Amino acid sequence: MASVVLSEAEKVYIMHGVQEDLRVDGRGCEDYRCIEVETDVVSNTSGSARVKLGHTDILVGVKAEMGTPKLDRPNEGYLEFFVDCSANATPEFEGRGGEELGTEIANTLYRIFNNESSIDLKLLCINPRENCWVLYVDVLLLECGGNLFDAISVAVKAALFNTRIPKVRVLEEEGGREIELSDDPFDCIRLNVDNVPCIVTLSKIGYRHIVDATLQEEACSLASLLISVTSRGTLTCMKKVGRGSLDPESIFEMMETGKRVGKLLHSSLQTVLDEEEKLGSARKKVGFLG
Amino acid sequence: MRGSRSKALHDQALVNCQYSMATFSTGDRKRRPHGDRQSSEMTLHLKQTFEAAILTQLYPRSQIDIYVQILQADGGNYCASVNAATLAVIDAGIPMRDYVCACSAGFIEETPLADLNYVEEVTGGPQLALALLPKSDQIALLEMNARLHEDHLERIIEAASKACKDVYAVLDQVVREHLQEVTALLGK
Amino acid sequence: MAGVEVRLPAARERLAQGLPRGAGEGGRDLVAPGDTITTDPGYMRGHGTYMGNEKLVASVAGVVDRVNKLVCVKALKTRYNGEVGDIVVGRITEVQQKRWKVETNSRLDSVLLLSSMNLPGGELRRRSAEDELAMRDYLQEGDLISAEVQAVFSDGAVSLHTRSLKYGKLAQGVLVQVSPSLVKRQKTHFHDLPCGASVILGNNGFIWIYPTPGQKDEEAGGFVTNLEPVPLPDREVISRLRNCILALVAQKLMLYDTSIVYCYEASLSHQIKDLLKAEVMEEVVLQTRQRLLELEG
Repeated sequence: MASVVLSEAEKVYIMHGVQEDLRVDGRGCEDYRCIEVETDVVSNTSGSARVKLGHTDILVGVKAEMGTPKLDRPNEGYLEFFVDCSANATPEFEGRGGEELGTEIANTLYRIFNNESSIDLKLLCINPRENCWVLYVDVLLLECGGNLFDAISVAVKAALFNTRIPKVRVLEEEGGREIELSDDPFDCIRLNVDNVPCIVTLSKIGYRHIVDATLQEEACSLASLLISVTSRGTLTCMKKVGRGSLDPESIFEMMETGKRVGKLLHSSLQTVLDEEEKLGSARKKVGFLG
Repeated sequence: MRGSRSKALHDQALVNCQYSMATFSTGDRKRRPHGDRQSSEMTLHLKQTFEAAILTQLYPRSQIDIYVQILQADGGNYCASVNAATLAVIDAGIPMRDYVCACSAGFIEETPLADLNYVEEVTGGPQLALALLPKSDQIALLEMNARLHEDHLERIIEAASKACKDVYAVLDQVVREHLQEVTALLGK
Repeated sequence: MAGVEVRLPAARERLAQGLPRGAGEGGRDLVAPGDTITTDPGYMRGHGTYMGNEKLVASVAGVVDRVNKLVCVKALKTRYNGEVGDIVVGRITEVQQKRWKVETNSRLDSVLLLSSMNLPGGELRRRSAEDELAMRDYLQEGDLISAEVQAVFSDGAVSLHTRSLKYGKLAQGVLVQVSPSLVKRQKTHFHDLPCGASVILGNNGFIWIYPTPGQKDEEAGGFVTNLEPVPLPDREVISRLRNCILALVAQKLMLYDTSIVYCYEASLSHQIKDLLKAEVMEEVVLQTRQRLLELEG
């Protein structure tokens, strides 16, 4: 995983700063860096989004493809996650170097979406037991500047919000059913993303914890707690990462912070997504000219 | 550009490339971003192209990494990669003999076509990819597939090299504008 | 107290538009790879050029620099090319026998020989076998040092020395990495700024911002690191300086003591964390630019 090496004195400096609620870049412990979001950036997809958080740069593409429902859930479609760590982020990811991190992130995404409420999968069913939509959510990591999980979860939510799946009709004919695509390209299904959770990572540095750690701060943190929160502040998943340990008391504190910051994150994100949509065709696409 | 590693060469810089396509970049979803036959071939082509252009003998024991990531594909992937990588190499301040510009060309219904898009690529027919050092008119890479009568070859190459020079004009303009802007800002 | 700001991206605008005409353009020779610089055989080939068909041709995009008969092209952005006497800041990457490998943003790793550094307890003493064993106690992987370039090898690798009390291991502070071409060459690269902190502007683009030391602790020879907490006001200055330097870099203004101080003063009307935003950076640097122009007259 992309990481930086720091000297002991630099770590001490960062740690004392966190204690005083003044981080190296001037932020307080609960401040995010400014997040830039843009949707509909890759035309070959059903939905896409790009998120920049400091130097962290994420591109997510969602593709809807026809598949068969899983045996235990015949009335639902499903989501598939894949995370590709581009060598452009760091040479360490060349060849198979990024696979381990990619799998770890993908597994986390599977876990936070593994509940009934986050997305209505029944909507993706076309024909029980036979046909359904499979949403391939492909994450491409272009640059790492710390706090990958949060940025990726924001990008996934934005891309799902942007996703448009063509409407289909099932025609009953003798000898079998046939699926017909709607002629009108604007006639499509949209997903309700109100309950899609976002991840808030809380890194413990010294006696306090911070949100949205930079690479340097991640190097100082021995343990962090990754929690996924919905826009209402409901906690859907929690995971401790890192080699250090956390005491139960601080976990509760971190959960409280996570919920509070998570709610803010959701509301700010939703405002921008709505704002962007309102612009409609008047919006100037920025893409990679930013 | 990075320092010595195990693969490093003692008398020149090693050019290391990786061509990778985002899984969502193509019409049908790709299973793997890189490592398949097509990407490995592309990686090799990129390496050859840039070994021809970069003055590698200036940097013994070093390695130059060129990573190309396709985000959205609509034909001419090799050519777009070469043109983008040229700009990146220039931006990195790595010495090159000349720009490298690339363009594809095809031959459909007795007409040479420059810069094939995805649909034109998949319809079959002869295809050619050309990478050119435009100032000196040297060819860095030439690849051709499908059968073509020898008499037509010259016309296709001509179409491709004309397109390469057009690409060069655009790249050169961008580089110069950038140079002008930055030197003005720095006020050296 | 928590702060989350989400926004739409803005397309980058041409930076030079707001600039007065003619600032620095006066008859400069700008070339791109493959351009012929001269066909006169009397010129000598320098960096960034090569001979092709008896012509002198540019190999990088940049500004032509003629010194007598020597022609060079300076690229806008490169890795660090060491020159003897340069001040650099570097990070130890490996401890080897009798030497350290140092990352200085060069193409190849730089080296610091055990024999070219000051050891604790005296200027010049023989390096004993014990010293060799205790190398990791002096400097270990990840440590930052300031040093001077002692020699440059034929392949471009750099050898460093720290044989002066100015140089040595760096303690608490913040490192900012920028392109080496943005650091202006000056008589001194160590500055105690009036705002209350100090900077080392490494020629290699590594910039070290640290609290101004009270009195120089010369006895310790710089190997006992002070790990006492840095007071909050000093931290604020350091964080602000860090963000100012990043703003100058984003807007492509040369880094030297005056530009940094002016930018710091222009930034005082903003909160430190707001300096991370592109539009604030732009505003602050524009003010700095104007003040620098006034200074030049």
